[in-house]
Amino acid sequence: MEKTEILASMNKIWRDELDNEAITITESSTANDIEEWDSLSNIQLVVATEKLFKIRFNSAEIAQFKNVGEMIDCIKAKIG
Amino acid sequence: MDNILKYIEEKNPAHAAKLNSWIKNMDTDYFSESELFFARYKKFIESTGKKLEYGIDCYLKLCAQMVFERIEFIRFGKYANTSLEEVEKSIYLNPEMFEYHMHGLVFAQFLWKEQYARFNFFSKNIGNYLKPQDKYLEIGGGHALYIVEAMKKGGDANSFQLVDISPSSIQLAQGITEGLNILFLLKNIFDFSPTEKFDFITMGEVIEHVENPLSLLIKVRELLTDSGMAYITTPANAPTLDHIYLFNNATEIRDLLNEAGFEIVIEKTQYAEDVSEERAQKLKVALMYAAFVKPKK
Repeated sequence: MEKTEILASMNKIWRDELDNEAITITESSTANDIEEWDSLSNIQLVVATEKLFKIRFNSAEIAQFKNVGEMIDCIKAKIG
Repeated sequence: MDNILKYIEEKNPAHAAKLNSWIKNMDTDYFSESELFFARYKKFIESTGKKLEYGIDCYLKLCAQMVFERIEFIRFGKYANTSLEEVEKSIYLNPEMFEYHMHGLVFAQFLWKEQYARFNFFSKNIGNYLKPQDKYLEIGGGHALYIVEAMKKGGDANSFQLVDISPSSIQLAQGITEGLNILFLLKNIFDFSPTEKFDFITMGEVIEHVENPLSLLIKVRELLTDSGMAYITTPANAPTLDHIYLFNNATEIRDLLNEAGFEIVIEKTQYAEDVSEERAQKLKVALMYAAFVKPKK
């Protein structure tokens, strides 16, 4: 799966989980860029992403994600 | 409190910002109570050769651990441990883990909004229910915050006892309450004779740690005089390594209190996050439930 495809799927997750159809995330997006993306919703986003891609992030990975791009790299490495 | 928040800001700015967002609106009671409590804790921790910062580091470690517990909770919809045996393996028989957990929770009493809410509810109401000559018992009062407050608000009560099954918790409570006339008992509550009666029992954040909370509540009911009163608190949707019994909402807690033979006199609930009711339910935000209860006639 290409990075652009992963990003497109993640955009859908972010819109659904954060209840905001206007949200658009890019590889450089962080929680600071989106008002609804707080520490609480971050957990929902992580778990929804895991479910969609049928993967599991470990604790260290979750703690180290600095932006959406790093999350995409991790997903790509897991799904091949 | 300022020094504690400054230290947290150095170590975890995002967490400090979250704490400051609600603490900045607190009244003078909050600051005077927290100063007094942390001064007692500081004196104790320094007597053990450690510094206050050690306790704050324990708190930050606890917070980090809880994030992962919450992820697991959202993934699977249940607490990571569901039996006492599992908790013993992961915490109670793991001295390092138990130590940071215990000290971390000391700070949570004033740093977490829902924890302070349950203390404040106790503080504002205990004076109405604790009478002169009453026998007061606290079950599992590791940080001793509540028993000290009960002594302050109901100082004429006859006796104050604190029971815990953990030697480390007893040691912490003894250290924090040095100089106060409290009887400490290292004992299982189920070993109390049914003929022993108390007029007031406080049992905060205990029933979620056992496999069968109903039997524990029935035991508390048994130890209360017919005109007695208890202060019972427990959380719903609050994943931590040592929580076993999952309450999904306040209704389940009320139902269990009722089943154990209690009538709720007054109660208080508080979500751990500043969110709407709808969002709190959707995201399974931790809910603190506290109630003054009396035996049903």
